[in-house]
Amino acid sequence: MFCPQCGASNADTAAVCVQCGRNLQPGVPVVPLPVTGVVMPPPGTPVQNYLVFAILTTVFCCLPAGIPAIIYAAQVNGKLQAGDFAGAKAASDSAKMWCWVAFGLGLAAILFWVLIAGVGMLKQMSH
Amino acid sequence: MVSTAKARVLVGLFVAALGVILLRVFDPATAGIFPPCPLHYLTGWYCPGCGSLRAMHALLHGNLQQAWAMNPLTIMLLPFVAYGLASELLGVVRGRGLPQPVLPASYIRALCGVIVLFGIVRNLPLYPFSLLAPGAMLHL
Repeated sequence: MFCPQCGASNADTAAVCVQCGRNLQPGVPVVPLPVTGVVMPPPGTPVQNYLVFAILTTVFCCLPAGIPAIIYAAQVNGKLQAGDFAGAKAASDSAKMWCWVAFGLGLAAILFWVLIAGVGMLKQMSH
Repeated sequence: MVSTAKARVLVGLFVAALGVILLRVFDPATAGIFPPCPLHYLTGWYCPGCGSLRAMHALLHGNLQQAWAMNPLTIMLLPFVAYGLASELLGVVRGRGLPQPVLPASYIRALCGVIVLFGIVRNLPLYPFSLLAPGAMLHL
């Protein structure tokens, strides 16, 4: 049989999935196992956590608005591990939104700075 | 017909190339063409990303020591971000990115904690934390 959570192939008699540890026996309530290691995402259901973009905006572009994006990225992965795909998708959308907020704030700051620098240059030229 | 995803990648690559060229030619510490960090400009405090532009400039000139002194966190995260961006790029170009393990949420929270802590600690006027301020390690 194939694991309904991660799609890994398992023996028909297996109690739990060899790859993700999901309970494979029918009738037994599914308890999400606490996962401590690194797990691979189930194929076909990619849920972006935007972690790379969050780090880019926070650390590489000096925009602390990326911090909420990182927190939502953690939520995406936490919910994926618990098998809550709808929750993961919602957190993913929030992470995406905060990345854009960080990006927008950064763009606004740059435009503001260009304006200030431009006005300063004009003043210097008129003297 | 170019798809919107591919067009976005092309624009992204163009902006990135422009940024790399500008960062290679101009020194953010003296040129004045790069915008300052808004947080540092308004408050005088260093944010976790302060010094990252100067670090990239130093790296583009092959000076790892200076890059590290400007922002060690940026340098440490650079390989991971480069991998992630390469994966995004490949995902659009060939439809499949690089293998990306799902990090446990606790790892990401820990990373978030490290970033925030780094931003706080590098503002402390206390040795050895003061070494984390941009460029401080160059004056040992």
